[in-house]
Amino acid sequence: MQQDYIRIADIIPGTSVDGPGLRTSIYVSGCCHQCPGCHNPMTWDFNFGTPTSVADIMKVVEENGFNVTITGGDPLYSIPAITPLIKAINAAGLSIWLYTGFTFPQILNLPGIDDILPLIEAIVDGPFEINLRDTSLCFRGSSNQRIIDVRASLASGSIVTFNF
Amino acid sequence: MIQTVLKRDGRVVGYNEEKIKAAIRKAMLQTELGEDEALIHKIADRIGITGKEQMSVEEIQDRVELELMKSPRKEVAKRYIAYRDKRSIARRAKTRDMFLEIIEAKNNDITRENANMNTDSPAGMMMKFASETTKPFVDDYLLSDEARDAVKNGYLHIHDKDYYPTKSLTCVQHPLDRILKSGFIAGHGESRPAKRIETASIIGCISLETAQNEMHGGQAIPAFDFYLAPYVRSSYIEEVKCIEQLAGEDYSSLYNASIDDYIKLPLDGLKGIERAKQHAINRTVGRVHQAMEAFIHNMNTIHSRGGNQVVFSSINYGTDTSAEGRCIIRELLQSTYEGVGNGATAIFPIQIWKKKRGVNYLPSDRNYDLYQQACKVTARRFFPNFVNLDATFNQHEKWNANDPHRYIYEVATMGCRTRVFENRFGEKTSIGRGNLSFSTINIVRIAIECMPIKDQEERISRFFAKLDDVLEITARQLNDRFNFQKTALVKQFPLLMSRLWNGSENLKPNDTIEPVINQGTLGIGFIGLAECLVALTGKHHGESDDSQKLGLRIISHMRSRANEFSERYNHNFSILATPAEGLSGKFTTKDRKSFGIIPGITDKIYYTNSNHVPVYYHCSPRKKAQIEAPYHELTRGGHIFYVEIDGDATHNPKAIDDIVALMDQYNIGYCSVNHNRNRCMDCGYEDAQDHLDECPKCHSKNIDKLQRITGYLVGTTDRWNSAKLAELNDRVVHK
Repeated sequence: MQQDYIRIADIIPGTSVDGPGLRTSIYVSGCCHQCPGCHNPMTWDFNFGTPTSVADIMKVVEENGFNVTITGGDPLYSIPAITPLIKAINAAGLSIWLYTGFTFPQILNLPGIDDILPLIEAIVDGPFEINLRDTSLCFRGSSNQRIIDVRASLASGSIVTFNF
Repeated sequence: MIQTVLKRDGRVVGYNEEKIKAAIRKAMLQTELGEDEALIHKIADRIGITGKEQMSVEEIQDRVELELMKSPRKEVAKRYIAYRDKRSIARRAKTRDMFLEIIEAKNNDITRENANMNTDSPAGMMMKFASETTKPFVDDYLLSDEARDAVKNGYLHIHDKDYYPTKSLTCVQHPLDRILKSGFIAGHGESRPAKRIETASIIGCISLETAQNEMHGGQAIPAFDFYLAPYVRSSYIEEVKCIEQLAGEDYSSLYNASIDDYIKLPLDGLKGIERAKQHAINRTVGRVHQAMEAFIHNMNTIHSRGGNQVVFSSINYGTDTSAEGRCIIRELLQSTYEGVGNGATAIFPIQIWKKKRGVNYLPSDRNYDLYQQACKVTARRFFPNFVNLDATFNQHEKWNANDPHRYIYEVATMGCRTRVFENRFGEKTSIGRGNLSFSTINIVRIAIECMPIKDQEERISRFFAKLDDVLEITARQLNDRFNFQKTALVKQFPLLMSRLWNGSENLKPNDTIEPVINQGTLGIGFIGLAECLVALTGKHHGESDDSQKLGLRIISHMRSRANEFSERYNHNFSILATPAEGLSGKFTTKDRKSFGIIPGITDKIYYTNSNHVPVYYHCSPRKKAQIEAPYHELTRGGHIFYVEIDGDATHNPKAIDDIVALMDQYNIGYCSVNHNRNRCMDCGYEDAQDHLDECPKCHSKNIDKLQRITGYLVGTTDRWNSAKLAELNDRVVHK
C-alpha cells in the first residue's frame, strides 16, 4: 500500500508546454541527474513536496480530462511508485508523455520498466544540456533530447521519434 | 427690471441682487479705500431696476463695469475688470489644459482612451478636440438630469458619448451580397456589381470603410466565405476563357464543371481539357490568395477614419462547405498565417471562426480540415477567434444544411464581442443589424455602498434594490438616446441606410430612420462582477461557490429586467459583458476617491472585465471555463471567454483545439486564446518567451510584443491607457 503514495512537487492542470494539447502535468519529486541549469532544482530532493495518493492525483487528472505528462524530478527514479499511477491514467483512456534524464537505451534496462513502457505514448529522453539549450525547440530544453514514439520504437526495435 | 438671468451654460435662473453686490464688494476690498456699502447698494439697485427683463451674465457684468466707471471709484472698476478677466480665463483653463495635453502629444489617459487611434496625428488631434468638447455639450443639453447625475456620480457610463449628438448607431453586420450584386455609390465613385474575386474583396473593404464613417463602432462581415464564393467561380471561368483563346479550343463545358476543391496541383501528365481545367484552378487559387492578402493589407493600412484609424473590422467565416467557399477560407487562413508585409501579424480584421458540429468541428465534417488549419493559424497569429454556433442560445431552428442561404441563420459576432441575434421585430439573425448604443453600470460601486450593512442577506437585498434603481435609469437613458437617434434622416447615413441596414431599402433620403432602427439592440453592460462579489461576500466567483451563485443571480436578474424593458419600451434590450477599454480605470478612479483603497476591490487601478475571473487569479483553463460559461447564455448582447496559455502556441495547435473543446463542452458562446508572441522587427525572429527584451538571434532590442486588448490586437503597448496597462501586468496564464 505504501507505494500508492507518490511525492508530488506540483500538479499543473492545463499546461501547453509539456506535449501536444492542454495537459495535466504531474511533477514527481526526486532526481539524481542534477543537470546544470535545471528549471526546478528543488525537485531533486526525494522528500520535496507532498505525499499524494494515486486516487487523489487521479481526481485532478479526471476532473481536467486532459492528456497527462509525468515529469519531475525524474519520475523514472520512482518506477515502483508511479506504476499504479500510469496504469490508472491509461485505464482512464488518457495518453501519457513522460520526461526523463535517462536516455532511451538506459531506460530499457531500468528494473520494472517493462510494466509501464507500453502504456506510455512518448518519452522525452536525455539530460538537459545547457550548452545545447535552444528556446525554439518544441517541448524540449536542449537539442540532445528526443521525443520518442515509444510504441513504434518498441515494435521496430530502434528509436522512432515524433516530429514536432 | 431684471427678472431672470441667462447663465453661461444656457440655464435660466431668478435674478439675485446679492450676487452683484458681492462681486463689487470683492473688487472694493482689493483697493486702498476699501468698502463703500452705500455705493454698492446704489449701483445694484440701478442695474436691477433699469435692466431688461432677462439679461445674460455678461450683459449684467458690462453694466456693473459701466456704473463703476461713472462713479468716483474708478480704481474699483479697474479691479473689477481684472477680476472678470481672471474668472473668464479660469473658466477656459480647463479646456485649455485639455487642448494642451492633446497638442503636446502627451501619453495620458485622454489621448489613450482608444488604443486603435493615433491621437498624435493632425486628424487624430482634430477628432480628439471634437470628442472632448462634445462630451460636456451632451451632459448639458442631451442627457436627462438623472442620467447626468448617474454618470457624474460614477454609477453609469454612456459609451461613445462624444458621438451622441451625431445620432449615429454603433455597429452593423454587412450584408455584403447586397453590395456585391447591386453595386453602390460612395463618395464620388459609383461601383458596378463585382465580377471577379479581386473586385469583390476590394468592394468588401470599401463597404466597411464607408460605413465606418457613418457609425461609431465596429464593422463586420457575417459570412465572408458565402459572400465571396461566387467570385471564385467567376474568376475560374475567366481563366478558362483565357485558355480557350490561347488554345483556340472550346472548353465551355468547364465553366460549370463540378470541382471538388480548388487546390494547386502540378500539370505533369495532364492533357487537353483536363490540363486546361487544372491550370484554370491553379490560376484561380493564386488570384484568390492574392485577393485575400490584399483584403488583409487594406484593412490594416487604409486610415479611413480621422485619427489614423483603420476600420475596427471583423469577418466571420468557416461554414461554407462549397469548393469555392472552402477556397476563400483556405487562402484567407494561409495568407493570415504568412502575415502582412514582412510577415508581421495582421491586427485587422478580427477573424472569427464559426464553429459548428456537422460542418467543421467533427473529424468527419467537410470543413474539419480547415478547422485544423484555423487552430494552427490562431496558434501563431491570435486569430481566428471562435464563435460557437452549437451553443444552445446560438442555434436557429430554421438552419438547414441544404439551404444555400443558411448563413442568414448563423450567429455572427463583432470581434470585440458585441452580439446581435434575437429580434422582437423580425427574423432572428445577425445580418443587416447591429447595436444602437450601450451604457454600462458600475455594479462595484453599488456593492461598495452596501458594505457597511452587517447582515449579509440584508446587504444583498439592499444591493438588488439599488441595482434596480440604476437599471431603471439606464433603461430610460437608452430609450432617450433611441428617441434622439430615431430623428436622424436617412441621408445622414448614405450607405448604411440605403443598402446595409435591414428595411432601409424602403426609405427615402429625407425620411427619418425611425421605421427601421428597432432592428438594432440597446445594450446594458456591466463591469467588475468579481469586485462586486468581493464587496458583497468577501470572495469572488472563482474562489467560492456561494459567490458564483450570487454572481449568476445578479446577472440573471439583469437579464430578466432587460426583458421587461424590452416589453415596456418596445425595443431589443440585451445584457452586455462589457469589454470597456476606455472604462477600465474610470469607475475605479472615482470609487477610490469616494471610498479609498479597499483590498480586493479598489486596490488595483482597474476593474475586472465583465463576468471574468480576475486576471491575477490562478486557475486552470477548465475551471475558468466552468465558472464563466453560464454567464454566456445570460449576456446576449455579447460575451467572450479568454484563456491565457502558458507556452508557445505555435508549437501546439492542439492546445487551441482543446480550448475550443472546452467551449463546445460548456456551452460557451465566443472564445479566444491569448499567448505571448514576440517578434524581432529587424530579423523577423519569433518566440513566446516572457519579457523578451533582446532578440536572441540578432541582438536587436526592437521587439514587438503582441497583446490583445478588449478583443483586438495591438503590437505596441504605447497606446494603452494606464488602467489597461496595469491589468496587462497582472495577467497570469491559466494552467
